[in-house]
Amino acid sequence: MSRITIDPVTRIEGHLRIDAEIDGGVVRKAWSSGQMFRGIERILQGRDPREAWLFTQRFCGVCTTVHAIASVRAVENALQLQVPLNAQYIRNLILAAHAMHDHIVHFYHLSALDWVDVVSALQADPAKTSALAETLSTWPGNSKMKLTAVRDKLKGFVDNGQLGIFQNGYWGHPAMKLSPEVNLLAVSHYLEALEQQRRINQVVAILGGKTPNIQNLAVGGVANAINLDNQATLNMDKLYQVKDLIDEIQAFIQQVYFVDVCAIGAMYADWLTYGKGVTNYLSVPDLPLDSAGTQFDFPGGVIMNGDLSSVQEIRTFNEPFFKENVTESIARAWYDGDWTKHPFEEDTEPRYTSFQDNGKYSWVKAPRFKGHPMQVGPLAQVLAGVALGHKPTVKWATKTLETAGSIAKTTLTPAVLHSTLGRHAARMIRTQLIAELAQKHWNLLVNNIAKGDTSIYNEPVFPKGEQRGFGFHEAPRGTLSHWVVIRDGKIANYQAVVPSTWNAGPRDEKDQPGPYEASLVGNPVADAERPLELIRTVHSFDPCLACAIHTVDVEGTEIAKVKAL
Amino acid sequence: MDENGERMIRVLGLGNVLMSDDGLGPYVVRVLEANYECPSGVEFVDAGTPGLDLTPYLLDARAVIFVDTVSSKGQPGEIRVYERDEILKYPPQTRTGPHDPALKEALLRVAAVNGGPEQVTLIGVIPQWVATGVAMSPIVQDAVPRAVVAVVEALTRLGKPPVLRERAIQPDLWWCDAPEKFSHPAAK
Repeated sequence: MSRITIDPVTRIEGHLRIDAEIDGGVVRKAWSSGQMFRGIERILQGRDPREAWLFTQRFCGVCTTVHAIASVRAVENALQLQVPLNAQYIRNLILAAHAMHDHIVHFYHLSALDWVDVVSALQADPAKTSALAETLSTWPGNSKMKLTAVRDKLKGFVDNGQLGIFQNGYWGHPAMKLSPEVNLLAVSHYLEALEQQRRINQVVAILGGKTPNIQNLAVGGVANAINLDNQATLNMDKLYQVKDLIDEIQAFIQQVYFVDVCAIGAMYADWLTYGKGVTNYLSVPDLPLDSAGTQFDFPGGVIMNGDLSSVQEIRTFNEPFFKENVTESIARAWYDGDWTKHPFEEDTEPRYTSFQDNGKYSWVKAPRFKGHPMQVGPLAQVLAGVALGHKPTVKWATKTLETAGSIAKTTLTPAVLHSTLGRHAARMIRTQLIAELAQKHWNLLVNNIAKGDTSIYNEPVFPKGEQRGFGFHEAPRGTLSHWVVIRDGKIANYQAVVPSTWNAGPRDEKDQPGPYEASLVGNPVADAERPLELIRTVHSFDPCLACAIHTVDVEGTEIAKVKAL
Repeated sequence: MDENGERMIRVLGLGNVLMSDDGLGPYVVRVLEANYECPSGVEFVDAGTPGLDLTPYLLDARAVIFVDTVSSKGQPGEIRVYERDEILKYPPQTRTGPHDPALKEALLRVAAVNGGPEQVTLIGVIPQWVATGVAMSPIVQDAVPRAVVAVVEALTRLGKPPVLRERAIQPDLWWCDAPEKFSHPAAK
């Protein structure tokens, strides 16, 4: 029996720590720990609810827009305030662009190198690589000339003794299985994706006013004045810029991202069996189609024990089934007490002890739905879509399984999605859906404006007394909900239950492990000094815990501590 | 690109305004833009804590000036200026979460695509405390004018000296306002 701790040590707190007990080359038990106290919601107490979104979008520098949108939805819910159609469409386009950007960055820049051996790509024959790529995709960026240039660039890095960007990988690890040609193709797409994500980011800038923190939201709508003939407002020129950018990114998503995920799924088919973990899934509907939030383009719901026939749909922004069943437990988290409470009722007091395997060991609370741990994220949403017979989801899920199956020369069923690579596949499937829906919502917006509707805002009115509201958003990392208690026009309590809390949370009062913890059990570990396999499974969730602080450690020489005990 | 087709120069204020001294970068950018006209071809950006999402702001820039808090030996409030090679001297750390502070990685990433900005300067201030809250420590607050001057000097070295506004405007430090400022009629 040995124990691995993956704990990137810096002088600041604020990271995810994973502990795993290994026996016989397999993980037997795991702990997931958030190493930073945030409690950032307390800043909101006493403030004007109309300003809350400005603060919440600073919770996290990467997930800015998602916290902004959940906040305005929560306050609108408290007031039962509807928003004009244009505002819904503009918000939806921003959310769609943000999500496409986020998913591409996650796959290519944050997790592809868990599967792709950069050093091996040096051995590749660019002509063979190009020929191989042609069998998979018509993407013009896969030419022999382009791939030769990429290989030469890589070679330049190595010859200069500086891998730069690529110096931190587990190169040559026995769990790396791709051929040099596939590795080269992936490195080429990695570099191309950097440029793609810059372009899609411009959609957020055009509609949101600024990035990374948007400026156009308001409780009750948006602040994008619409006048098709005015340069200073949202006009046809800007709308066509948005359309062009969506077209471009959709081509990349369909011709490159789709193929790469299918190929990696096929070539690492054993990773369709590891990493299942918690198979209770929670997702919420999003991309609203009406002012009240009763019809959506994305369905969401609850699935228990991986049984798709158990699905219970969450239908509206007022859904009591969601509102009444979310709780958080601090039994194993560094807070005073051991309660389980509804977000409206929480009053968290930090109380740090130490890392206790059988006691408290994380700053992250343990959210539960009807008392159950739930996995959130694109996989939860895709499974809900399949379970509810949502046609576009079924179409892309089927296409993905067929394509990966044909590369692997086998038949893949939806059951393989409950896995480490299944989460990557689901994220890609979701990105395809979002690209199609971005096109749809662009058309909805333009057609609605063409009808003469330029309304963007309904003014909120705060009555005396207390109102409670919740707002949810199916964010890139999964179900995000904000919960607000307003008293006499001011915020009395505010809680954000974020996707990585659902997934990275610790055990609860019943000792039920959270999704990260459960998913690591059964993972193989070939080399305890280089636990690539654990990183693969953790990364498949797209963790985001440590964005709240940003002190740069330029002089620091400490490196991540991976210790076998 | 600016109107002459030249690649941009960006001043990027990094940090979280909800984490006391960590909000230094955005704070300095807000004070800078309130006191100086932004020269053509230059952008002042309150960039928050974008992690790897810094990349888009570097890809089309010929020079960048970061303003951020830094860990360094010394007294809180002291300013440290680093150039590109010093920033990249030590390798970035392996990250479990994908969104940890990623200034080094973002620079290395753009270096792999197109070389990245030719000139990179980090104007760092040593923080006194970094904890949940919107108020900076007095000693770091006092460093703001010096950090602004350091940015102006860096821009001047790049051939883009910003000109003082004839009349300074109020900096948009919305997060620093006491909650009372937003008190609502219904609350009275």
